[in-house]
Amino acid sequence: MKRLRILLVTLATVVAAVQLHAAKEVNLFGWSEYVPQAVLDKFTAETGIKVNYETYASNEEMLSKLLGGAAQYDLIQPTDYVIEALRAKGKLEAIDFKNVPNFKNIAKEYTNLPHDPEQKYSVPYMVGTVGIVVNTEKIKEPVAGLNDVFSGKYTGRIVTLNDNRELLTWAMRTLDLDINKVTPEAIAKARPILAKWLPQIKLYDSDSPKTALLNGDVDVGVVWSGEAAILYRENKKFAYVLPKEGAHLWIDSLAIPKGAPHKEAAEQFINFILRPEISALISEAFPYTNPNTEARKLLTPEQLANPASYPAASKLETFRDIGKAAAGVDKLITDLKGGS
Amino acid sequence: MTAIADPRTATASSRRSPGATGWLLLSPMLLWLGLFVVAPTAILFVYSFCQRDELGQVVFEFTWENYARIADPVYLNILARSLWYAGLTTTICLFIAYPVAYYIGRAPVQRRSWLLLMVMIPFWISFLLRTYAWISLLKGEGSVSALLHWAHLIAQPLEILYTPTAVMIGLVYTYLPFMILPIFTSAEKIDNAYIEASLDLGAGPWRTLSNVIIPLTKPGIFAGVLLVFVPSIGMFAVTDLMGGARVPMIGNVIQNQFGQARDWPFGAALGITFLVLFVIAFWFLHDRGEERR
Repeated sequence: MKRLRILLVTLATVVAAVQLHAAKEVNLFGWSEYVPQAVLDKFTAETGIKVNYETYASNEEMLSKLLGGAAQYDLIQPTDYVIEALRAKGKLEAIDFKNVPNFKNIAKEYTNLPHDPEQKYSVPYMVGTVGIVVNTEKIKEPVAGLNDVFSGKYTGRIVTLNDNRELLTWAMRTLDLDINKVTPEAIAKARPILAKWLPQIKLYDSDSPKTALLNGDVDVGVVWSGEAAILYRENKKFAYVLPKEGAHLWIDSLAIPKGAPHKEAAEQFINFILRPEISALISEAFPYTNPNTEARKLLTPEQLANPASYPAASKLETFRDIGKAAAGVDKLITDLKGGS
Repeated sequence: MTAIADPRTATASSRRSPGATGWLLLSPMLLWLGLFVVAPTAILFVYSFCQRDELGQVVFEFTWENYARIADPVYLNILARSLWYAGLTTTICLFIAYPVAYYIGRAPVQRRSWLLLMVMIPFWISFLLRTYAWISLLKGEGSVSALLHWAHLIAQPLEILYTPTAVMIGLVYTYLPFMILPIFTSAEKIDNAYIEASLDLGAGPWRTLSNVIIPLTKPGIFAGVLLVFVPSIGMFAVTDLMGGARVPMIGNVIQNQFGQARDWPFGAALGITFLVLFVIAFWFLHDRGEERR
């Protein structure tokens, strides 16, 4: 009996400790290679709130785990169109912006966009584009648009993202179609263009397209700006341009999933991230486009000169959620790849 | 199925509770099969008749649509190509593995264990790591290219990486041990007397090989073919990494449904179809194997 009582007391203590502990933590589910450990440590040192940082490699992976419901996350880092889909399904908690005064630092051009028109559910974290990276040592003539990349001159020297919707979007750009109206007609129109393009591509890689460019296996790529920024940092011969036909702008935001156990801690974290000096710290580690105006003032001229982080203006547009139309896109690209 | 029958016969002598001990001994295996084979397959089966919503969540509304989609020539072509690649991989593996396995099987015991160890060592290193190693070997500015260039065998940098040839190299490399090991087990068991008898009775080395050695190693060949052919149909990592994701295999298509496309029901339907095809192929091969023995 005595032993049982000891056991019960111990158990109760443990439960209490866990509960006490629970108030002092926040579960962040974010992209891999996106939040520097130093930032997390600083947050913990200042607030005493422990950050449990779990990572994913794609929006889809994040959705699977989030909707699977096994884990309780307080913060996620979805891309714009995923925010839109989650919001539409009521999967996001409205953020209490009273707790996030630093939101004023975010540039107006990145707020109230179609994925969150009232800016109630998300706070931009980092921003980027999909553009053209050129090894200027190998390719001397200017490459300004998607039509230049796929002119046939660089067959077997091209790397692109392995992303069906991106590929379709590029073809739609050259046709001057609305990239967010993915209809069977639009797919049919884009098909002959992609049929000409895909055989010219040497490899598809979404995870690390920079590797093939660094290895010299390819000389031109259509890739994430973050990859291009790292390439430029490595060697100035890698130039980055936004396609003149128009480019895809993506915005990764912080959002709070419905039923998050530590909502206040999550808001505290968002506010912390938005501090200029903290945000600049993130930019230093990962050279994406920083949407934080105050933080940009703290960046070095060299960081600001990186053309992949801060490219010359172009026609930029974010993705909207296309729902079930994705099946048609999947079929199109699978078919065209299979035919080559 | 034979696995279930065996322990029963082994415990048949204890008459009071025939099979009870057998079932007990078997229970971890059955539990494992139930949890990790039967249950997931059943879930896949149910999913394959469901639909998806905009977020890619499975909606439990009955539809045949997923199976109708498989009949699309797009996916049938890819299945055909996957079978062709798997067949080619199996054939190449068989031709490379047979002499090696036979040699190891007939080698003196001491050397045999060393040779076997060398076949096994690659398993100690992560498969992905080994695949990345191949990428750095085969890349245009890689060591193989440099070596061939130095030997004046090629003038231009090697253009193998991200081609079907690279996929083939990757597949054969990955699955070769799975062909060597079962054939080795069969070759090891061959009684030398058979070979000597064959040679004594006037059969030449080639006839001895085709009429005595190969028939005796048939169980090993059969197991090897199965172990190489089946997983190589579904392989997606090698085609993605070494083939540059240019030529999709059925494995890539399925993986894509569970990842990027977030269309689990369609992926499940592909998986189930694949499983049924495999079971049919297995029965066919197995029956023929039994007949010949």
